[in-house]
Amino acid sequence: MTITHHPDMSTLMAFSAGTFDEPYAVVIATHLAMSEGGRDIMHRLNAIGGALLDDEQETEMSSGALDRLLAAADQPDLPEQITPSSDVPLPLAPYLPNGLTSAKWKWSGPGVAICDLPTRDESSSRLMLLRVAAGRPVPEHSHGGQELTLILSGAYRDRFGLFGPGDIADHDEDVEHKPIAEMGA
Amino acid sequence: MYAIAMSEIGSGKNLGTPSTEPAALLRLIAEQGDKSALSDLFLLYGAKIKGVMLKSGANEALAEDLVQETMLTVWRKAGLYSTSRGAPSTWIFTIARNLRIDQLRRRSNRPYEDLARVEIASEAPSGSAVVEQSQVIARVSLALKALPAEQQEVVHLSFINDIAHSEIATRLGIPLGTVKSRLRLAYDRLRPLLEDLQ
Repeated sequence: MTITHHPDMSTLMAFSAGTFDEPYAVVIATHLAMSEGGRDIMHRLNAIGGALLDDEQETEMSSGALDRLLAAADQPDLPEQITPSSDVPLPLAPYLPNGLTSAKWKWSGPGVAICDLPTRDESSSRLMLLRVAAGRPVPEHSHGGQELTLILSGAYRDRFGLFGPGDIADHDEDVEHKPIAEMGA
Repeated sequence: MYAIAMSEIGSGKNLGTPSTEPAALLRLIAEQGDKSALSDLFLLYGAKIKGVMLKSGANEALAEDLVQETMLTVWRKAGLYSTSRGAPSTWIFTIARNLRIDQLRRRSNRPYEDLARVEIASEAPSGSAVVEQSQVIARVSLALKALPAEQQEVVHLSFINDIAHSEIATRLGIPLGTVKSRLRLAYDRLRPLLEDLQ
């Protein structure tokens, strides 16, 4: 998979810092799952956190903290939460346990369907799937803030070029674009 | 065509002075379940993680709990650490960050956990460059301190104080675009060093 459209560096930095709410984090994690190059950049960004942690001022731990840790280390680990397998990248699978085709689509104009994905966060962002028929315009889903759009399959084209699987459009509110879904994709 | 989309609505002196490299301590835990290596890692990192958690908005008790959780995760997952995941400090930072998202912000850290599984599955084994990784981190830390004050400020507010970019903009009374451009400039300064990590 060749990724040509990457998130803005400041978007990746927010992901690395961990300040995004769930909808952002899901879209970026899914993109990174599809992009080896993106994961390399994320490793580099995480080193900023590593260096800052090294430099952090030490704050005295309560007495007994080490004993508490060593006692806890003897306890067996809880089984890991396993994400069900699905035809979507792993970070998206908890939201679509039965894959793309099982999504509950809502008609949203000719050739366009939308499926809202519920998130745990009480965030001010919305996570949704879009399905757009070939040759149809991709609907605007922004309401005046940042928007991230990640292509899972197929492609669309706008004035920024062709966006295929793994490509992400990372736009501020002031970006005007009119993406059209590609034929035969 | 299918797409997934989202949009908005609207110094180093330590008590006990452990003698071994953190990467070697992680290996001792992974291979031998060595609890004295866990003690040493706790002495190296516990008080620093607590400092980060307090700055992230945790109270004293929660910060202590998050240190415990972080170190316990290090103990249990040490076998998954490899140098391709960065220096030990970087790996421990990401563990602390994920717990902070989950417990301090009460947000889902699931995307991070699932991405980590993707990485483990796709990672080529790598056995070298442990020492170089730590040296690079030391150089990154020097470079961070050499950044212009306004860039250092936004990097700290984001990575350590755990504040969203839009909130940083509000606090500093600057446009969101300025917060983002300061972060991009900081990355450009650090980039040559960070690329040495690969």
